[in-house]
Amino acid sequence: MNASIDPTAPDARPRRSRLRPVDRVRTGLGGLASRPGRTLLTALGIAIGIASMVTVVGISSSSKADLLAELDELGTNLLQVRPGQSLFGDSATLPADADAMVRRVATVEDTAGIIAIPGDVQRNDHEDEPNGLSIIATDGRVSETLGLTARVGRVLGVGEQHLPVVVLGSLAAERLGIDSIEGGPTITLGDDSYQVIGILESHPLHPDLDRSVLIGESWATERYDIDPNHSTIYIRVAKDRVEVTRPLLARTANPAAPNEVDVSRPSDALEAQTKVDDNLQNLLLALGGVALLVGGVGIANIMVISVIERRSEIGLRRALGASRGHIRSQFVIESAALSTLGGALGIALGVGATAAYASSQGWTLSVPATALGGGVLAALAIGALAGLYPAAKAARLDPADAVRPHA
Amino acid sequence: MTPPVIELRSVVRTYPGEPPVRALDGVDLRIDTGEMVAIIGPSGSGKSTLLNVMGTLDRPTEGSVLIDGVDTRELKERHLCGLRATRLGFVFQSFHLIESARVLDNVANGLLYQGVARAERERRARRALELVGLGERATTKPPKLSGGQRQRVAIARAIVAEPSLILADEPTGNLDSRTSDEVLALLDRLNADLGATIAIITHDHEVAERVPRRITVHDGRVSELTGVGS
Ligand SMILES: Nc1ncnc2c1ncn2[C@@H]1O[C@H](COP(=O)(O)OP(=O)(O)OP(=O)(O)O)[C@@H](O)[C@H]1O
Ligand SMILES: [Mg+2]
Repeated sequence: MNASIDPTAPDARPRRSRLRPVDRVRTGLGGLASRPGRTLLTALGIAIGIASMVTVVGISSSSKADLLAELDELGTNLLQVRPGQSLFGDSATLPADADAMVRRVATVEDTAGIIAIPGDVQRNDHEDEPNGLSIIATDGRVSETLGLTARVGRVLGVGEQHLPVVVLGSLAAERLGIDSIEGGPTITLGDDSYQVIGILESHPLHPDLDRSVLIGESWATERYDIDPNHSTIYIRVAKDRVEVTRPLLARTANPAAPNEVDVSRPSDALEAQTKVDDNLQNLLLALGGVALLVGGVGIANIMVISVIERRSEIGLRRALGASRGHIRSQFVIESAALSTLGGALGIALGVGATAAYASSQGWTLSVPATALGGGVLAALAIGALAGLYPAAKAARLDPADAVRPHA
Repeated sequence: MTPPVIELRSVVRTYPGEPPVRALDGVDLRIDTGEMVAIIGPSGSGKSTLLNVMGTLDRPTEGSVLIDGVDTRELKERHLCGLRATRLGFVFQSFHLIESARVLDNVANGLLYQGVARAERERRARRALELVGLGERATTKPPKLSGGQRQRVAIARAIVAEPSLILADEPTGNLDSRTSDEVLALLDRLNADLGATIAIITHDHEVAERVPRRITVHDGRVSELTGVGS
């Protein structure tokens, strides 16, 4: 009658079975919603793993942020120039005009030179053991350049350059047993007696100054026969110009022999201490990773049990038209959702723990967004991976066998 | 001329083992649209195997199964699943309801693997529930239902996609005789009023008595029972 040879042809091939994407997700989540207790317990493993990792990263990041803020305040824009060694291995010296030359660099805001003076420091009324304190002559700009402040008394002013007075570093004051300038305490350098006019606050960037006694450079060069060249020049650079300035300094300080100049940044030394923390952090992260692995295995385990328990549900779904792929995706989604739930829980716990610790330390909370996103993604991936085997098992079930009543 | 709803040609199903079990031993069977058939036989005779082969849950070792004229041997897995989703409805002895899902969702699942949207699934599920007399229990969960009610939910799920053939494996096996009667009356009504084609497996002769066409299975072979009044 018409062109169709086989009248059943249009109807011949049944449509493929089809599950809408929303329903795919919904069937995957349905299994979890029906067993809330088990879901929560199973998710706990992942939650602990993610929580510990987020906490480790968060605490380290918060403390680092705090340290960096502190360093910033102390001066990450502070550089120092010291004489290094000559080609022959002898100690080099800085040229006399190094300080003045460096100060001429456009990005340099301020400089201050010091001269280390050999000699012992003693309390007048004591016959002291060697106390490891050193004597430093400063040119009067050092307090301003380094931001030194006096805890007691005052810092060495430009007007006091020619007087036999000293300012003590905080540790030096402690070792000498001086904690006040009342009554005009004095100390002895070599044969001379000096009046203490101030005690400095401790300065974390300059532990060597903490251990020193500061005298005026003019006084020192007039009174003693010392090498007048600076043993250290402190250089304060315009903020954000440190990187461009640093390579210029050696050449500027000693154009004749730039390789005999050591340029360093004191804050680097402090920052390096955080690298020690990195090792600990990696260890803790690895432990968190192990917890995640264990959590993943736990999920795989529970999913396998779940597949065995739900064999009749699987049989039913096959009878209703579910393909193997539909069954597989249901269990992979269930497993991934279970794990992601654990991940979300872990992030909440981890951020909470970090916040509590940070506030106890007086830090501001800082958890990198990558840790949060990474945590969720890691949980999702672990869950999906853990679900592969149980899902394959579920998909392989023989539907005829699965619908039979089982003992 | 429309082809039979289902046709089995020389179907053999052997279960491997020592010795192998020939659960179906050369079955020829044909069921036409609108028929209601009882398949009876002693335990272990091969009834469930027959039903699973008819429902494409199991593949014959030899022979062929044609549904609405389509040879199921030639279908790929996804199309075979599509065939189950659209043309076949199952009712099992143990109901196979998802206990944590509402009655309505259980019934709507009958349309899940056809890709029907949720609102439409629910609309049709409500209608199917009305048909089995459970329109009021849509939001109840299965644990609150009696055995007879559960089986009616399962029947609603089997008819929601308006399949060509409903296959019921001992649908009254877990029910007392009064509820059995109700469930059978329901299947009767679906057949008589809506023209649903139904095959019921049972080893209960009383049940079989009520069905117009009866087929017996013995050691994997089928024979038509004729002459017994309906
Ligand atoms: N998966 C299987 N593996 C091996 N043998 C099987 C399997 N399933 C069924 N059999 C065997 O096939 C034969 C037919 O079983 P089937 O379940 O079809 O019988 P039945 O008529 O439905 O029995 P009942 O009335 O007890 O449900 C039996 O001998 C049974 O032991
Ligand atoms: Mg059986």
